[in-house]
Amino acid sequence: MTDPTTLTDPTTLTDPTTLTDPTTLWHPVATMLDLPHRHIFHGQLLGREVAIWRADDEFINVWENRCLHRGVRLSIGTNDGTELTCRYHGWRYSNRSAGCTYIPAHPADAPARTICNRTFAAVEKYGLVWSGEDPIGKPPIVAALDDGTPFTLRNLPVNAPSQVVLDQLRQHRFQPVASLDANTARMTATEVNDYAIALTSTALTSTETDTTESSTAVFFVQPVDSDRSIIRAVLTEVPAQVEQLGVLRHHATALGKLVIAAETAAAQLPPPEPMVATINQVSLALSVMPEPMLDRQAPLRVQVARKWITAQDIVGFELVSVGDPLPTFQPGAHLDVHLPNGLVRQYSLTNGPGDTSSYRIGVKLEADSTGGSQCLHNTVREGDVLAISEPRNNFPLRRDSLRTVLVAGGIGVTPMLAMAQALKPMGLAFELHYFAQADEHLAFEEIRSELGDAVTTHVGLSPDETGAELARLLDGYGHANQVYICGPGPMLETARTIATAAGWPDQAVHFEYFKNTTEIDNSSSFEIALARSAVNLHVPPGKSILQILRDSGIAMPSSCEQGACGTCVVPVIEGKIDHQDVHLKQSERDAGDQIMTCVSRAAGDRLVLDI
Amino acid sequence: MIKLYDYELSANCYKQRLMMSLLDVPYESVPIDFFPGLEHKTDEFKKINPLGHIPVINDDGYVLWDAHAILVYLAAKYDPSGHWYPIRDPALLGETASWLLFAEGTTNTASAARLYVNLSYDFDIEACRAGAHRLFRMLDEHLWFREREGLNWVCSASHPTIADIAIFPDVVLSEEGGVSRLDYPALRRWTDRVKALPGFSIMPGIFPMGTS
Amino acid sequence: MTANVATTCTDPVILDQWHPLLPLDEITTDQPNTAVLLGEQLSYRLDANGDPVVWLTADADATPLPILVEYLYVWTCLGSPPDRLFAIPEFSEPDRRNVHAGTIGVHVSAPRAVENFLDMGHFPFVHTDVLGAEPHTEVVEYDVHIDPDTNDVWATECVFYQPRAATTSTEGQMSDYLYRVPHPFCVILYKTTPLDKDRMDVIALFCRPTAQDRIEAHMFLSLLDPDNTDAAIRKFQQTIFGQDKPILENQHPKLLPLDSRAETPIRADKVAIAYRRWLSDLGVTYGVIPVSPTSASVTS
Repeated sequence: MTDPTTLTDPTTLTDPTTLTDPTTLWHPVATMLDLPHRHIFHGQLLGREVAIWRADDEFINVWENRCLHRGVRLSIGTNDGTELTCRYHGWRYSNRSAGCTYIPAHPADAPARTICNRTFAAVEKYGLVWSGEDPIGKPPIVAALDDGTPFTLRNLPVNAPSQVVLDQLRQHRFQPVASLDANTARMTATEVNDYAIALTSTALTSTETDTTESSTAVFFVQPVDSDRSIIRAVLTEVPAQVEQLGVLRHHATALGKLVIAAETAAAQLPPPEPMVATINQVSLALSVMPEPMLDRQAPLRVQVARKWITAQDIVGFELVSVGDPLPTFQPGAHLDVHLPNGLVRQYSLTNGPGDTSSYRIGVKLEADSTGGSQCLHNTVREGDVLAISEPRNNFPLRRDSLRTVLVAGGIGVTPMLAMAQALKPMGLAFELHYFAQADEHLAFEEIRSELGDAVTTHVGLSPDETGAELARLLDGYGHANQVYICGPGPMLETARTIATAAGWPDQAVHFEYFKNTTEIDNSSSFEIALARSAVNLHVPPGKSILQILRDSGIAMPSSCEQGACGTCVVPVIEGKIDHQDVHLKQSERDAGDQIMTCVSRAAGDRLVLDI
Repeated sequence: MIKLYDYELSANCYKQRLMMSLLDVPYESVPIDFFPGLEHKTDEFKKINPLGHIPVINDDGYVLWDAHAILVYLAAKYDPSGHWYPIRDPALLGETASWLLFAEGTTNTASAARLYVNLSYDFDIEACRAGAHRLFRMLDEHLWFREREGLNWVCSASHPTIADIAIFPDVVLSEEGGVSRLDYPALRRWTDRVKALPGFSIMPGIFPMGTS
Repeated sequence: MTANVATTCTDPVILDQWHPLLPLDEITTDQPNTAVLLGEQLSYRLDANGDPVVWLTADADATPLPILVEYLYVWTCLGSPPDRLFAIPEFSEPDRRNVHAGTIGVHVSAPRAVENFLDMGHFPFVHTDVLGAEPHTEVVEYDVHIDPDTNDVWATECVFYQPRAATTSTEGQMSDYLYRVPHPFCVILYKTTPLDKDRMDVIALFCRPTAQDRIEAHMFLSLLDPDNTDAAIRKFQQTIFGQDKPILENQHPKLLPLDSRAETPIRADKVAIAYRRWLSDLGVTYGVIPVSPTSASVTS
């Protein structure tokens, strides 16, 4: 038997240059035992450090171990089951995509650029996690492991190059499970590939019956660096429970000796050059500092104190101030919420009057979300800081009505709840009619139950049934009656038509569109004269009045920028208006003395604006 | 109230702060200008501990020094469960004592390496680092086998003992001394478990676990 | 003045700077002790007059290196030193506490340490509940300029909410900060003190590089603080720096990359980017990875 501490003859080692390029191969980088709940495993392959972590959905992430911000190791960060947070500045990176979802230093204007860590493939097989620089195909197939049941032995690091380790493994000895205490096993070896070898140990367990028992172990060698490896050993059968500890110790002891032999052999060789992993350059777009976000009008900072599911696809958010007390609002008001992905969205407050300790909003996950509701549902979490505008009130509630009808469709219930909570303590008569497709879609149960009988839900009605119901409850307009409607476009159209037909005057019908779905035609060009500043500006095709005013240095407020909310309104002194918004009532359009500068345009050549 | 003569960056002082935090025992930290002031070597301080080192505690007149001795006292006196220093279980107590000696080893290797790098102590740095790796290899194997038996701590009980506390700071701060823990995954999992103990507190150089 | 022994630092910009060796009061004997600067071992002792003298250990003639004593430290130079060191007038104000808060060894380059000192965004995460706390994580826009006379880098109008800004603080405050880089490896910050609204505390990091990727960081303070003991002041500073050390030692690469394509800046990094550009303009090559015109761009 070869003395395992004999000097290794360097000429018998496999010449590394004849091996397959290791960067194209799959290598084991961890065992499944290395990825307990919320742990981040620090590993290394071919000179590249990696951070390996298992998310709550069981996805295994293998990422380059450096944050793109200033190169701090991600392995010292925290794993909360869905995101990895960098320890230095709290940047958060999402499970699976490794995309950055939150930059705490800039809650108002986290750039909408994609900052994404470098990821590597990860496959679980034989109780090990496999990865690679740029691996081709799949992790190696070892029939003995596929036919049996893998049992992970103690994996050991070795300060020796992988080929030196394999050289020692070819001479490795251990006993089969059935006769651990003997020393008589016969070994046979099968090369699996350049980095793995299978060894079968066979021993006579009974001289009378000539029975032999075998155990097979597969030894995968992970090339950590040019002078360091990890031996990842896996048995092909799971020993009986009572034997397991003994088997593990036997192999650990045997491998321990092999490690010493390999390190001794490696010490005889000239030290190899360390492997140097290439770190990709940052893209040109990300290497440039982003511009400061001007004109964003989001002066308030709030923290998400609570996030909860209030109905199917609808999430409630409770936002508390980070600094000064929150400004007051009126029922019907909405906030601009600046999302960490750079988008801005409007949400109505559901708060009752005087309740300014926090702002509460509801967000519906839109199936065709352009990223706004998606971000709030999936990325924003409790504790995050968001930048928001002060409450804007473009949908004010009259509190001098003898009867108020509140009509809510779907997520349009949010401003209605605020209105209802304002009317109730004043003893003003009101009814809130809440239309929804199914019971599961009814949100904010806690507020509705406080409002009691004043709320009627209408669930699962077809469009015709909805129309009939609307006609019924809008029947009988009386003096000082008001109706407020908020919901999807078609429902709003129907309700407005029915109200008009039932004799409700224009001034008594109030509506708020969340979206403007009409196609905006910005092909016209015209002049605008600013009466107070004595300035003439040209508005070309493709640009809105709002943009032209801002380009000229005039600070203009805005919110939805699609003609729904009414924030960007400007008075008009002269000129015919091409109204393309959904905010103004017909009577307001006919009066022709105000314009939504984000989408509306001049019908003729010129408009004179009173600014 | 217990007075702890204390230095913020000392691993041995931190062992006491951590123990008292885990035991929920209030104490007063008396900052000693250990570095660069060398206050522990002054005649004034030597009235408290003639050997001129910290940590030292004064518990209502009872004065004790030596990091591991103080852990024994704190656990014996203030732990009603009897888990941390298990005097009612001789076998476990023996294990605890044995691993306290192991902690002397980690102090003299890993912590010494840290003092060499941080505060320019005059030690044989190569010997310290080699010694630390030797001990970490042993401890990693030991903890790996504990995990296979469903146990999480250095001694063979289902709860930690002061042995875990005595060893933990030397291990978790080892990288400051240039001793990497890349080769010791079981050791790293164990440090996560210590950090998750109720009442755990940090010192500069240690990061807390996440809150979720 | 330069001894006839090859230095391992070949960067003339850095060789021709004053570097902080150690506090003056740590040179106490006429027996030589040693310290490493820029990869060279230096010897130092007190001479017959009780003044410090420094020389290259390998120099058989023990030719004294130029030295000056300033801000509590003995500074020396391995090349041709500038006429004077940068000015900190607060040092001479009679009611100031000038404190050497300790020297800590860190396995990272001096420019990385300087850049960390310039950064506020990490306060809530690394110095939790002392210099910052969530959710007050926002770094608002601040100004950066280079002083045309001194060529110092300045960051001004810096503001950050701090739960416990100084040893003298008992409650949270919005702190006003100024940052100044007067030397490639030295950085100074000025911050509001609760004791006098018109003056500022001065806190500085003077780095002695022992190698391109290793430093001995001297922490210097010039404070308005009549009450706290040296032990308390040193504890506060060493706690802060002790929290920074593992972050610095977990950065890769250890040398500061000056190429803009190396890392991803955000607006809070404005002064860091200015510092990197400033080092490039000075021609510094020691402790940094300079911008290479032929650097391979391996973009993904």
